[in-house]
Amino acid sequence: MAVQCWEDLLKSSKKTALVHDGKRKIHYLFEDGKEMAEEYDFTTDDLLVRKWRSKNPLGAPGEWQIEIGEPFAALASLDSEMIKENFSNPVFLRQDTKTTFQWRIRNLPYPKEVFSVSVEPSERCCVVKTSNKKYYKKFGIPDLDRCQLPLDCSALTFTHANNTLIISYNKPKEILTLEHELLRELKKLKGTGEGDVDCKTQ
Amino acid sequence: MAAQMSTTKVPEVRDITRIERIGAHSHIRGLGLDDALEPRQVSQGMVGQLASRRAAGVILEMIKDGHIAGRAVLIAGQPGTGKTAIAMGIAQALGTDTPFTAMAGSEIFSLEMSKTEALSQAFRKAMGVRIKEETEIIEGEVVEIQIDRPATGTGAKVGKLTLKTTEMETIYDLGNKMIESLSKEKVQAGDVITIDKATGKISKLGRSFTRARDYDAMGAQTQFVQCPEGELQKRKEVVHTVSLHEIDVINSRTQGFLALFSGDTGEIKSEVREQINAKVSEWREEGKAEIIPGVLFIDEVHMLDMECFSFLNRALETDLSPVLIMATNRGITRIRGTNYQSPHGIPIDLLDRLLIIATSPYTEKETRQILKIRCEEEDVEMSEEAHTVLTRIGMETSLRYAIQLISTAGLVCRKRRGTEVQVEDIKRVYSLFLDEARSSQYMKEYQDSFLFNETQAPQMDTS
Repeated sequence: MAVQCWEDLLKSSKKTALVHDGKRKIHYLFEDGKEMAEEYDFTTDDLLVRKWRSKNPLGAPGEWQIEIGEPFAALASLDSEMIKENFSNPVFLRQDTKTTFQWRIRNLPYPKEVFSVSVEPSERCCVVKTSNKKYYKKFGIPDLDRCQLPLDCSALTFTHANNTLIISYNKPKEILTLEHELLRELKKLKGTGEGDVDCKTQ
Repeated sequence: MAAQMSTTKVPEVRDITRIERIGAHSHIRGLGLDDALEPRQVSQGMVGQLASRRAAGVILEMIKDGHIAGRAVLIAGQPGTGKTAIAMGIAQALGTDTPFTAMAGSEIFSLEMSKTEALSQAFRKAMGVRIKEETEIIEGEVVEIQIDRPATGTGAKVGKLTLKTTEMETIYDLGNKMIESLSKEKVQAGDVITIDKATGKISKLGRSFTRARDYDAMGAQTQFVQCPEGELQKRKEVVHTVSLHEIDVINSRTQGFLALFSGDTGEIKSEVREQINAKVSEWREEGKAEIIPGVLFIDEVHMLDMECFSFLNRALETDLSPVLIMATNRGITRIRGTNYQSPHGIPIDLLDRLLIIATSPYTEKETRQILKIRCEEEDVEMSEEAHTVLTRIGMETSLRYAIQLISTAGLVCRKRRGTEVQVEDIKRVYSLFLDEARSSQYMKEYQDSFLFNETQAPQMDTS
């Protein structure tokens, strides 16, 4: 039922599609003013980027919040007036595959035994802990939250290689069917091709 | 015991790193009233003017209550009797959380903006909305703080800060501004701090318990706190106050590239304002926001003209209107923009809505007190005789002139390597700088030798 809810929301949103740079880019504008942008690889249909933006309570537009894909950290480098994380710190990002939600944490040069990853169904989040007390992260799975699906401990696995911790969570079948449907719908969307886009305001 | 307590009172801690300049009213820290709103003769930088300060205290309570909208107060009195000082005192007593907007009557005359627009912006700047917002903060115990100065002595400093919680540790690169505020707060290893990521504001929560046994010269007020748990970066709800005008500006910006062509006049459409008013009252009903009526202070209010006064009449009637405080030093004079005469240059119908506080000239004793406070504020040591002479000057000329002589006499004194301003220094500056009366006298005597003396200029008209 909840899956239906999210599906309806997606359907009712105003979608704009665009193929550019070998990517299918889709912009969703929801009725409450929230915006979502997704980028799919044109040939493999992998989801590369998903980001969100909403207006703050006073009405000013906020920053894009990255849900999936590389964070654009390079942009913030000029922000020398304030504070920023050193480049040697772990970098957390999400990069899904077709069948799993997947998170990668780079710059973690510790042996695999140090890490423990668990699911906290009551708080609806996953927790990464290190026994040497160097890294700790709590993260939710927004896809499951949106569809109000329960979190499952057995779906979670993790590996460690090349200083990177990779955490995978098998997508439940509700999500798989939803994503499949959505992709089919999106392909039907008549996207503007390469080149200039007609400007409505002129 | 109580007597002993009061004699060994800790001297008021003055911020050493104070960088503000000394302004005409920077010695004022409040209205100088006790809990029963009785004015103390000398307190918080205020001297005398007991009745008007008490009246201002009553107004202050009304503002703090926040229930009454659109009241207006007029402070009337001769020049140099503390009208602006009383308004500043109210501002100080209200604290930083209540919006206080000060403007001069002539500020509204601009080619960019209509007079009424400037006034409505000022009105809305004086109305605050307390609203919850989420911000990202970093909260942790300082493991190490390292600041490198470049070898050449100039150029940007490079800094690193290592913070930890019970679960994790992170290294941060610091920008210049952050390095400065960290050293200003004297943050060192073992402190538990929070940093607001958006504003860069640092607050020290205390020292970590693990450092409690370090041998350290720490004050009695050092607090020990637990090392924070979980993640270093947290989202926290903070309450802050924004003015209605700020919300207007955010929402009136033309979006996208059309902003390039819109030719921003700085005027805000009334539809935008209405929308915001509706939204704010919606928030208030939902308990998301709280409205804080502030104070709009218009100095030299006789500079407003008839249109402004009639606008004020109407603006005071809306329920989203702040308490308006005006000050004027005019007697019965012409209302600007008309040929009618009226008390204070304000039309009778508006005067009728005002509560009027009158200030009276200072007595000799009060003048002496004020000069003493100013000497302290400007860091000038003055001998008793010099003080008496200066007080006499203040009584005979004007208080403002006497205050001007303090810092100049201080300079003269320093140039002759003296430590305390003597009567000679006062005499010296008194002869160097003319006061208004002597200057006019001089004019009358030597007018013939000045340029353009043949053309009899008409009397200056300022009303």
